[in-house]
Amino acid sequence: MRKPEFVYVTYIETTAEKLWEALTSSAFTKRYWFNTEVKSDWKVGSPFALVTNGTTTDVGEVLEFDRPRRLSYTFHHILDEAAKKERPSRVTFVLEPAGKLVKLTLTHEDFAEDSVVLGGISSGWPAILSSLKSLLESGTALEIPPPCGGIQ
Amino acid sequence: MNKPEFVYVIYIASTPEKVFAALTDAKMSEQYWAGNRVVSDWKIGAAFALKLKREETDVTGKVLEYDPPRRLAYSFHPQHGGMEAEPPSRVTFEIEQQKDQVRLTIVHDGFEPGSKAFESISRGWPFVLSSLKSYLEVGKVLRAHWYEDEGADRGAA
Repeated sequence: MRKPEFVYVTYIETTAEKLWEALTSSAFTKRYWFNTEVKSDWKVGSPFALVTNGTTTDVGEVLEFDRPRRLSYTFHHILDEAAKKERPSRVTFVLEPAGKLVKLTLTHEDFAEDSVVLGGISSGWPAILSSLKSLLESGTALEIPPPCGGIQ
Repeated sequence: MNKPEFVYVIYIASTPEKVFAALTDAKMSEQYWAGNRVVSDWKIGAAFALKLKREETDVTGKVLEYDPPRRLAYSFHPQHGGMEAEPPSRVTFEIEQQKDQVRLTIVHDGFEPGSKAFESISRGWPFVLSSLKSYLEVGKVLRAHWYEDEGADRGAA
């Protein structure tokens, strides 16, 4: 049986440094990630949190911070009782430059078989990463309504 | 073993009409699809071809659905690289307006387990759809030397 995971690949005309900055800086994330801030000092082992309009929605721990190549953190959605009961999942970004482009691969994995979070993040990530690509290429993020249920 | 399928969602700051046009127009596809062209008169049952720049054969198929600007579907049968021995697969595009954007969903299914074509299109579609998005939003297509030099191996799509 295939293990539950979500993988998304996109190509963005930008530099790995700019893309890295966009993934790890709140000033950036607020512009494309449904007004969400990423809060961490980014040391391996340090806590990590996603905060939207002042409310902490997800928490985790920094697993890898290999600028500007690999970023990884655990991910635990805490706003919803069912989601809170699940074990944390794992998010990994891999940035691979290719000429004037960067290939960005997101893997969100380590879900339980009956995860309620997997569906939500599967809807959320394409919107977030599409908006990120638009912001970096055109200067304007997308205006996407947050997915139902508020999960990512 | 499950039958493999490829599903991908991308949001594009454009209109459903423009996205649908880009997916069905030979000249536009040549721009963002690394020189490959979609060719069809788009009548249901009519032939569909993706004319490949870097192969001697085309991807062939048939138009299955044509409902502008919402749904487009065609069968998809590469004729190179051993993939001609596999049965045709199926591509379905769904185009939805969401505020000022379009949500484009592709489902590419109908593969047998172990399909070589599945591996190939799974690598190709994220690049082609990223390029389509850039083409419609900023008027620039994406150039990746690996895609252009090694087209067939890297992605039938």
